[in-house]
Amino acid sequence: MTAPPTPSDFEAETNATYAALMWALSRPGLIGHLPGTGQAQIITALIDRESAVHCTDPALAAFAARAGAALVDMDAADHVFARDLAQADLLRDLRCGSDLYPEDGATLVINADLSVGTALRLTGPGIDGAVDLSIGGLPDGFWAERARIMRYPMGFEIFLIDGSRVLGLPRSTQIEVL
Amino acid sequence: MSLKSLTRDWEPMSYGFLDGSAKREIRRKMLKAIAVPGCQMPYASREVPMARGWGTGGLQISCTLINPAMRIKVIDQGADDSVNAASIRSFLARVSGAPTTMDTLQADLIQSRHRIPEEMLRADQILVLQVPNPEPLRSVQPNMSIARQMHADADYGRMWLQLYEQIVRSGRVMQGASYPSLVNGRYLMTPSPIPRWDVPKLHMAQHLTILSAGREKRLYAVPPFTRVEPLVFDDVPYRVEDHGHLTCQRSGAKGYFMNEIPQAGGTSTFEVSDSELGVKTIRMAEGESARIGQTWYKDGELVQ
Repeated sequence: MTAPPTPSDFEAETNATYAALMWALSRPGLIGHLPGTGQAQIITALIDRESAVHCTDPALAAFAARAGAALVDMDAADHVFARDLAQADLLRDLRCGSDLYPEDGATLVINADLSVGTALRLTGPGIDGAVDLSIGGLPDGFWAERARIMRYPMGFEIFLIDGSRVLGLPRSTQIEVL
Repeated sequence: MSLKSLTRDWEPMSYGFLDGSAKREIRRKMLKAIAVPGCQMPYASREVPMARGWGTGGLQISCTLINPAMRIKVIDQGADDSVNAASIRSFLARVSGAPTTMDTLQADLIQSRHRIPEEMLRADQILVLQVPNPEPLRSVQPNMSIARQMHADADYGRMWLQLYEQIVRSGRVMQGASYPSLVNGRYLMTPSPIPRWDVPKLHMAQHLTILSAGREKRLYAVPPFTRVEPLVFDDVPYRVEDHGHLTCQRSGAKGYFMNEIPQAGGTSTFEVSDSELGVKTIRMAEGESARIGQTWYKDGELVQ
């Protein structure tokens, strides 16, 4: 009988990070907890040579390049890591995929304040009825721009990061600004 | 920069069998599948030490999600003890050190071939369904490029036509398993060859369902609280198998999905398909401690 394998620290961390991301995206509106803080752990869990990444933070870009990702402009990236966005209309640069290939839509990871800010009401898959929450730290008109761009099933996913807290917003979620 | 900083420590094998790049690819695709419920996402489908078509799709999802704290249950047509289920369960335990269970209530991750357990799944549980044929349109459109275009256009007229023709020819819908269902009102999916009995369990369920076809290299998902509606005409209601009145000949359980066991005289007896539910029923009848959780069906009727 061989000894049961144990995960390395790397495997345990990426597994827990992914579990937090998966549940955050499955249950939009419920805030998940990542094992660490910041966006680098998401790069570790998801990004490798097959990814095209855009990072606004040069240190994070170097980290993504170390993971093997190609560093590209925002309109070519499948994963975008941003500390913040200057204006909401930068969302228009994100890839939305096509009706034939919705999976080509990008994933945006951005820092936000998950405690105070604009009052929002979320409905859609993963939400039991509706959920209200407040999100701050995003540019004016962010939610209106998101709604304007996306034509389901085309669209992009958003992960809002606040320290070790994460909120997932899949393209299937309708967001009403209250 | 040293060589050491560019590599990781040597390991005799990757934890959970799959290597890091395989896991990252499946993770990225799983996130997209959750974001577009019911939409089939292509993925690479790596080799696993099992023949394609025997649950390799489900196995890769389980290998990606698994960790030593995750309790695993594997079922094959409802049974925990069939060869396929026992082999996959022992493989998962051996490559991950994860504990295993047969009790639906204790499981964190349930990999299943063609059944959903009778006991209700909770919000913290994940159901992984093995899928032989992920394309619901294949029977009406064998060309998968055209089928993809039909999904893009939400053009499911031919599927309705097929159901209509079945009703005209046979008086009822003949689709027994993998009943085509509309997810979130947009994508038609096959729920894998689960019986009609199990399809309503996916509708607005609390658990996360991930469906994966290893041979066909596609995965898709049904997030919690997502509409899953079988395709039905307004005037021909959806009917599940008429098993409500049947009693399990071994355990005495009644009102659940049954396996029919033909007898020599041309008659047949029935056994409850969810084997662990049968075991629990027997244990309780013998005065042992066992707990049956809330079930989706009661006396053959779906609990609303």
